[in-house]
Amino acid sequence: MAENHPVGFQWVVEARERGAQVIHVDPRFSRTSAMANIWAPLRAGSDILFLGGLIHYVLENGKDFREYVVHYTNASSIVPEDFKDTEDLGGVFSGWDAKNKKYDASTWFYEGCVERDKDVPYDVSAHCGHCKEGGGTTIDLTRCNSDHTLTHPRCVYQLLKKHFARYTPEMVERYCGVPKERFLKIAETFCGASGPEKTGAICYALGWTQQSKGPQIIRAAAILQLLLGNIGRPGGGILALRGHASIQGSTDIPTLYDILPGYLPMPQLGIDSDNLEAYIEKHRDLTGWWWNFDKYMVSLLKAYYGEAANANNDWGFDWLPRVTGDHSHQGYFLEMMDGKIEGLFVMGQNPAVAGPNSRFERKALSKLKWLVVRDMVELETASFWYDSPEVERGELRPEEISTEVFLLPAAGHAEKDGCFTNTQRLLQWHQKAVDPPGDARSETWFMYHLGRRLKEKARKDPRPRNVGLNALTWDYSLEGKLQEPKVEEVLQEINGYTVADRKLVSGFGELKADGSTACGCWIYSGVFPRPGENRANLRNSQDYLGHGWGFAWPSDRRIIYNRASADPAGRPWSERKKLVWWDQQNKEWTGLDVPDFTKTKPPDYRPYKDAEGDDALAGDKPFILHADGVGWIWAPKGLADGPLPTHYESLESPVRNPLYPDEQDNPAVMKEERPQNEYANSPDARFPFVMSTYRLTEHHTSGAMSRMLPHLAELQPEFFCEISPELAKERGVENGGWVTLTTARGLVEARALVTARMRPLLINGKNVHQVGVPYHWGYRGLVKGDSANDLVAISEEPNVRIMEAKGILCDLLPGRRAQGKAALEQLSAHLGGSNAH
Amino acid sequence: MKTAAKPKMTEERLEEIRKAASETTKEVLAAQYSPRKPPAQSEQSYYGLAVLKAPAWTWEVPLYFFLGGIAGLSACVAFVAQFFRSDPALIRVSLWGALLGAAMCPVLLIADLGRPTRFLNMLRVFKLRSAMSLGAWILAVFSGCAFLAVVCFELLSRGFTNPLWTSLLWLGESSAAAVGMLLASYTAVLIGATAIPVWSENRKLLPVHFLTSGLGCSAAILELAGFLIPATQVLGFAASGIETLIETFLEVRKRPVDAPLHHGKSGTTLRIAGLLEGPAALLLRVFWGSVPAGRYAAAVCFLIGALLSRYAWIWAGRASARDPHVLFHLQRRT
Amino acid sequence: MPISAFLTDASLCIGCKACEVACKEWNEIPDDGFSWSGNSYDNTRALGASTWRHVLFLEQKQPMGSQLAGIDEPFRWQFLSDVCKHCANAGCLEACPTGSIVRTEVGSVFVQPDICNGCGYCVVSCPFGVIEKRPDDGRAFKCTFCYDRQKAGLIPACAKACPTESIQFGDLEVLRQRGKKRVEVLQERGYSDARIYNPQETTVGGIHALSVIFGEPEAYNLPPAPEVPTVYLKSAWTSAFISAAIILAIVCAAFSF
Ligand SMILES: Nc1nc2c(c(=O)[nH]1)N[C@H]1C(S)=C(S)[C@@H](COP(=O)(O)OP(=O)(O)OC[C@H]3O[C@@H](n4cnc5c(=O)[nH]c(N)nc54)[C@H](O)[C@@H]3O)O[C@H]1N2
Ligand SMILES: Nc1nc2c(c(=O)[nH]1)N[C@H]1C(S)=C(S)[C@@H](COP(=O)(O)OP(=O)(O)OC[C@H]3O[C@@H](n4cnc5c(=O)[nH]c(N)nc54)[C@H](O)[C@@H]3O)O[C@H]1N2
Ligand code: SF4
Ligand code: SF4
Ligand code: SF4
Ligand code: SF4
Ligand code: SF4
Ligand SMILES: [Mo]
Repeated sequence: MAENHPVGFQWVVEARERGAQVIHVDPRFSRTSAMANIWAPLRAGSDILFLGGLIHYVLENGKDFREYVVHYTNASSIVPEDFKDTEDLGGVFSGWDAKNKKYDASTWFYEGCVERDKDVPYDVSAHCGHCKEGGGTTIDLTRCNSDHTLTHPRCVYQLLKKHFARYTPEMVERYCGVPKERFLKIAETFCGASGPEKTGAICYALGWTQQSKGPQIIRAAAILQLLLGNIGRPGGGILALRGHASIQGSTDIPTLYDILPGYLPMPQLGIDSDNLEAYIEKHRDLTGWWWNFDKYMVSLLKAYYGEAANANNDWGFDWLPRVTGDHSHQGYFLEMMDGKIEGLFVMGQNPAVAGPNSRFERKALSKLKWLVVRDMVELETASFWYDSPEVERGELRPEEISTEVFLLPAAGHAEKDGCFTNTQRLLQWHQKAVDPPGDARSETWFMYHLGRRLKEKARKDPRPRNVGLNALTWDYSLEGKLQEPKVEEVLQEINGYTVADRKLVSGFGELKADGSTACGCWIYSGVFPRPGENRANLRNSQDYLGHGWGFAWPSDRRIIYNRASADPAGRPWSERKKLVWWDQQNKEWTGLDVPDFTKTKPPDYRPYKDAEGDDALAGDKPFILHADGVGWIWAPKGLADGPLPTHYESLESPVRNPLYPDEQDNPAVMKEERPQNEYANSPDARFPFVMSTYRLTEHHTSGAMSRMLPHLAELQPEFFCEISPELAKERGVENGGWVTLTTARGLVEARALVTARMRPLLINGKNVHQVGVPYHWGYRGLVKGDSANDLVAISEEPNVRIMEAKGILCDLLPGRRAQGKAALEQLSAHLGGSNAH
Repeated sequence: MKTAAKPKMTEERLEEIRKAASETTKEVLAAQYSPRKPPAQSEQSYYGLAVLKAPAWTWEVPLYFFLGGIAGLSACVAFVAQFFRSDPALIRVSLWGALLGAAMCPVLLIADLGRPTRFLNMLRVFKLRSAMSLGAWILAVFSGCAFLAVVCFELLSRGFTNPLWTSLLWLGESSAAAVGMLLASYTAVLIGATAIPVWSENRKLLPVHFLTSGLGCSAAILELAGFLIPATQVLGFAASGIETLIETFLEVRKRPVDAPLHHGKSGTTLRIAGLLEGPAALLLRVFWGSVPAGRYAAAVCFLIGALLSRYAWIWAGRASARDPHVLFHLQRRT
Repeated sequence: MPISAFLTDASLCIGCKACEVACKEWNEIPDDGFSWSGNSYDNTRALGASTWRHVLFLEQKQPMGSQLAGIDEPFRWQFLSDVCKHCANAGCLEACPTGSIVRTEVGSVFVQPDICNGCGYCVVSCPFGVIEKRPDDGRAFKCTFCYDRQKAGLIPACAKACPTESIQFGDLEVLRQRGKKRVEVLQERGYSDARIYNPQETTVGGIHALSVIFGEPEAYNLPPAPEVPTVYLKSAWTSAFISAAIILAIVCAAFSF
């Protein structure tokens, strides 16, 4: 966190100064470790073992926050008899279809839920990784079998105990490499941050997400935090440290292929083809907040298609494109390589350096007919066709590449108005400081005018495929000599308005399913409640939660599910940790934060028969987005790879899976194994070392924004890797000397930074060396270097399809790699003759 | 870089601060490390990198040191010779030597400046505490006196006899002699009063060396100009004699801080220089002092030695700046 | 007017180098060359003409208070942002023959770039090795203490950019006291080797850029007992005068017969 979120990390330092204990779990000793009270070096890829170990510790020593667990989690829910755990089936849960590498999740679902006479069958399939989990309106999740004594053998709590029984401190020491006494110290320390008086937070980022089991690692953290009662309370939570300045914004209003704004699922071909009604009934929940699904969806369609959208044409539902397959970054680069993709827009991205298996991706780019790159610099992605290593090695010949590359100058963030949504779901507006130079234009400008021209073409072209495009609302006023669309109008459209009088709505509460309201993204609704009142632009913070500075979705709630900060009766768990509570006099929820709960719903409220939506949740059910209103220790649906996290080894690992000999790695993962995207064996004599790629404070991601600037480039001017003195000795490497790193995909040369911050770990009796590899370098800029991504494989985690960039196998040899063509021979030689092209 | 509004000089404040500082000197913060206590781990430094910055001076500076010495002492010799009424021709040569030296010095100094066009800023202030500032003024005054002396001398020798010229000649010569001594020695003080250990630790020795070799050089020049008189022989003997003492002193005294005087480029050069100025020149005079060739040889030896030693000392400074450990040891000694 | 000062606290520094970059951006300093050092994460190596803030990275086989870091042996990774000390008795200022270097009303030591003629005497007169000549430019440069910003009522760019308040800017006396307190606090917390670096016992007479460090100053290349070189003047001149007298005597002797 100190490395990549230094400005946010100031608060961690502040907390440490005030007595908080900071624990850092990372294979290498980073700047963050330097500031932490405790550092746990662990073997890359073993996080579920580690977190499972903590869960085991909590359960074995009865450290859980029992009252919270009983009332606010699904620990008491009963799971049906026919469910089988990985511990019973040797590494897979019941419902595993080995042939199609898919789960049928029906056996994971709660037992004995009340059925209602609705027609749409319940959907438990993992619909998409990013959207809300599947829904349906037949089953009432608030009325299923449960046992509040948590003693029933098939209740979640007991299953959890059984599932994590083998995640002992000894197991952690043996396979994570974390010495037992240090692990116990951490367990004890973290469990101390629990109960009425105390809370603890978990921050994570790519160390977890960039693994073939990323979401399950985060699930493990969620389980731990729910057991300790650390969700929805001040100082608690699981905080995703996000990436680019507005990467949170680009998931809320997605650049992702499988969701629509506000985490509504993108309709899929086949499944969601028929009509809006079916789509809505399938995805809405009978109980809980997602009952409002239809309001958000219809309002979104109204925002898209305006007048043209009406009840008779399903508000234009059919004009929405359908997901026809895997259109993730990895997915389309694979198809690109197969020549299935004609053209590509790359805006603010540098896949030629930052994409996994960048060798593969650069070659795939050469299969395009056309490529549009909008950037502030001529980056590797725009120049791959004449100066990439592939050209130097004769794999690509400029004269043979038919890709037509258009490089368009982009305006930087200081050269345009706009909005960032940060890690804390905080929308922050920023004003243009200067006009963009020359022909540089903002994204909005480009998108607006491109759309305008396409619509002009479409108007003259009567083909049915153009109806949607014609219907699209595209009416933003332009300002200045550059004809910039007014971005505040876009934010107003996102906020939502009543169609009749275009009056801005004050929040998503006003949204309707009858087409009378339009809203571009329901969770952002309320950011622009009145003309001239852009709440993202607020700049005077009034309290320690920062109300008055920016706008946190939803409804400026700074801590979500904050109903959990009060006990079931609505009283703060403790004076020290009070956040929101029930005010008996005024009969409403009040407190330091905007209550993330229906303001007037008393703690003792109990739903009437056949209640729907929020009415169906009792007054002590804080997790209002879940159909059962509680935190999910157990995931009855929504995940493609199991209701509970289980330890699987990385796709490339130096050890066999200690828990399940027959299930080495995540069975549901897509390895996309094919020529040029090969894998090492686990273990593999050719690639004995574990390597992880990561960032340095001094550079930014692909380096396109830092390698080009002297004041940043000089701070880390060369591509290097970090290795322990022990490994250096073993391989005869000097500090500062050259080394060649090789994986099954490629080879790169780097300087060796020999440092005691890297420790060899004793794994199952054997020393395992780890190699640290920052990935900021490419073949352009003031400082150049090989790209670490030439080493990484294109793999797809089953839920969110992220690649595994942490914990892969490599070899490290002293000296530079061969240059030019010879590099390929060196690689294939290392692979043992297998084809490197 | 952005240039801040030119601040008004507040030397008074500086004085106040000095006072304040010297008072607080008595109070040693409890929390503060004690500079006089040897460090827990000796030999520690930041990756062995230099603490100090090496002198940025280029080749002109040592040459200037050399010529300044000659000019200064030539003036001194001229004055004394005048005083004892010895050969006018010898006086003329010495005076012209002083003047020419004084003329070449500024050229070299200016050439070394980062911003030569700003050389006049040297006379912008007069700071006793800055040897470099003092030196600039010394050089200026010296040039003036030497010029005055030469002019009067030439007028008189061309028969323009006039009591005014005579008194001005005396004035010029005497002050040139006095300032000349400063000119020849301030350069030693200048490097002696820096943060560079090998210089500051030899700050007492350097003036002796610079003056002596200045003397030897001025005598050598006279000899080469053909004045193989006893006086120059005596001066030659004295100079190379003292240099021999200095050389032997440096050789016997072994201090870590003096490493650059014994080892490396600077060390070797200084040895050669020392041998030429000292023993070599001396022995030549002892054995062949009677024949002209012997004295010429001794003179040349001395001149070369003197020139080399100036370069050696600057190089020694560079080497010294590069070594953090010597600095730490020096500062930790009680 | 109070004396401006820095208190830079190694116990709060996260080594992000924002100060280094902010300084270069504000003062429009050129890059210091693109050469990788292999010295931990420090590639600027030292303060100089083109680096006025410099973040040190120390990897040491010593414990950091009660931190649980090293596995088989104690280990700590320290960061400290170094800067011109703005000495109470500043070698550079005393040495400068042109009066280019002055003491400002905020007590800082300021090089007037419009006066410096690049004589280089300050370079060898700084006991901390801070000020340096920039070859291409010819003049000497160092931290201006953001005199221009201070004039405009802004705090120095480096302090402004520091996310963790490792760089604190304020009045010398206040910061001296705060530093003292801070060290006491740290020592109570078990950082037994926490100290203040502020050589007051030497002729430098204290500095205006104090720092909280761990262990000996040598590890940070900070001189333990820096002296302002002007203290050497007296003995040097004495020796000069004595030898001058002797030389004069010799010359007289030579010509007297
Ligand atoms: N200065 C700077 N800041 C940035 C960025 C940048 O490039 N430069 N990038 C931004 C972006 S886009 C993002 S996404 C974020 C990413 O922020 P981070 O997630 O911090 O990014 P990384 O450095 O890739 O990975 C973090 C840590 O994971 C560790 N790690 C590696 N393998 C494992 C493992 O198996 N288990 C565990 N527990 N840890 C492991 C690495 O050693 C590394 O220290 O940073 C953002 N902020
Ligand atoms: N091996 C490995 N690979 C990784 C990662 C890893 O940890 N390990 N991390 C992954 C992660 S989390 C990320 S986010 C990616 C990042 O990888 P990329 O996003 O592909 O790389 P960036 O350098 O961030 O690209 C941002 C580009 O946007 C340009 N830009 C900046 N502002 C604007 C603007 O306003 N408009 C336009 N049009 N362009 C702009 C910049 O100049 C820069 O070229 O890398 C991924 N790749
Ligand atoms: S770069 Fe921006 S987003 Fe990243 S840490 Fe710094 S301030 Fe925060
Ligand atoms: S540290 Fe050096 S440069 Fe800075 S004021 Fe002191 S003597 Fe001058
Ligand atoms: S270099 Fe400039 S600042 Fe330094 S002493 Fe010479 S004139 Fe003064
Ligand atoms: S005070 Fe100003 S000049 Fe000095 S280091 Fe800080 S930013 Fe740079
Ligand atoms: S900005 Fe602050 S925290 Fe970052 S390196 Fe500089 S002093 Fe340390
Ligand atoms: Mo990212």
